[in-house]
Amino acid sequence: MRRRSEVLTEVRQAPALRERKTATRVLVEHHEVLRGLMRRTQETPRSQPGRRRTLADELFDELWMHERIEEKIFYPATRDVTPGIAAAWSEHRQLSDQLAALVRADPRTERFDRELSVMHDALESHAHLDEEQEMFPEVERFMDEERLVDLGDRLQARLDTLRSSRRVRAVLRLQRALLRLTAGRARR
Amino acid sequence: MAQRTLDRLLNAIEGDGRLDRPGHRLEQGFAFTENLLGITRGPARGFLHGVWLGHPLHPLLTDVPIGSWTMALVLDLTGQKRAARAAVGIGLAGALAAAVTGLHDWQYTHDNARRVGLVHGTLNALAIGMYGWSWWQRGRGHHLRGRLAALLGYPVIAVSGFLGGALTYRHQIGVDQADRQLEPRRFTPVLAERDLTEKSPRRVRAGDVEVVLVRADGRIHALENACPHLGAPLSQGWLRDGSLTCPWHGSQFELHSGESLNGPAVAPAPCLQTRVRDGWIEVRRAPAVATAPPGSTLVHQQEVQP
Ligand code: FES
Ligand SMILES: [Fe+2]
Ligand SMILES: [Fe+2]
Repeated sequence: MRRRSEVLTEVRQAPALRERKTATRVLVEHHEVLRGLMRRTQETPRSQPGRRRTLADELFDELWMHERIEEKIFYPATRDVTPGIAAAWSEHRQLSDQLAALVRADPRTERFDRELSVMHDALESHAHLDEEQEMFPEVERFMDEERLVDLGDRLQARLDTLRSSRRVRAVLRLQRALLRLTAGRARR
Repeated sequence: MAQRTLDRLLNAIEGDGRLDRPGHRLEQGFAFTENLLGITRGPARGFLHGVWLGHPLHPLLTDVPIGSWTMALVLDLTGQKRAARAAVGIGLAGALAAAVTGLHDWQYTHDNARRVGLVHGTLNALAIGMYGWSWWQRGRGHHLRGRLAALLGYPVIAVSGFLGGALTYRHQIGVDQADRQLEPRRFTPVLAERDLTEKSPRRVRAGDVEVVLVRADGRIHALENACPHLGAPLSQGWLRDGSLTCPWHGSQFELHSGESLNGPAVAPAPCLQTRVRDGWIEVRRAPAVATAPPGSTLVHQQEVQP
């Protein structure tokens, strides 16, 4: 638990009194966090495999949590408002698969760069083209503000709980370790 | 009457949202296992879907348990104990193979089909348990128990088989969902050539048909935009190594032929011919060539003029 993630510290240092946000706002801001992580991983050269790996791990964890809060809270609440929920679940599955491929790649290799760039495209396809451009505007139009703010609170609270949960962190660490362990020859 | 009952059964399953949670749990567990085994990114993926076969592998395998277990029923009636046990055993092997391929297909389904699939799979697991027990008891000489278990297991696979049929005929899982239109028959301008940038897929319309245009390696490719698996917009997918990946379930379609490389789509994405005239990209449906084998260069031939 010592290795505190960078995203985490940034978030923790935010002012204690948070303004209330709509669900879509919370999610878009978290998309920005994910994009930031992606960008920093891409900017880290192959000569710093340790940092690349740490960043990839963080992306793994944050994206995993992002998927869970959406699936547990946001999607069930919006499934009558927008038709794209089933597809969104499937896109999460794509992202999970790609995350697995990313952590299985050796950060010193070119393969890692390739997986990372696919990760980037897959994330943009889901978070931007689908959610931010199609699903969220629809939800904002058809759901009343109060409900959205309520949902936003729940999403934020859930995200905070997940982030600070030791159990979740342990499970994620175990998942990554297993994925790397079984990567074997596929690493090149 | 029977039809009404069956219909009601199906509707009840399809409308039951409580199935979603265990369904997603199961899928996530299965997904993790596939990732650990390297199946999602390996050749086993397409093999299990049946890409090599041109249609899903799963329905083909289900004939093995249904056939063998029907045979076992007959052999039980005629009192051929050893043969009956062998039939039960062969059915078991087939059922296990069908279970793996079925799960593999099921994980890429949505909503109602996903719920029906979950019940279908649960019933099959039950039947496998019963026939497994039957096989084991027969081996220990308890033929009566073995027969009884087989007798009780048979209606279970019958109902389950019905649900499997509904997945195909009602929900079109595993069916090529591309709409086989003939339009546009003539070259139709769809986009100014300079508006198509390298490596970013672009959705356009050619008459009633939605088409995705891709510029890669100096050529312009055109595929039908709706994925032949469940109809995802391919224009939201991403390009790698000469193929376009479907954003929903990750089928990769070869740009120059439309062939699926990995599944879950087992059918190709229909290709259109392209050309550039007066700064406009034009597309048309490749004229049907009755004698050409599917995937031949004649059918998919494309032309890009500077
Ligand atoms: S819709 Fe399923 S792979 Fe395209
Ligand atoms: Fe999402
Ligand atoms: Fe999201």
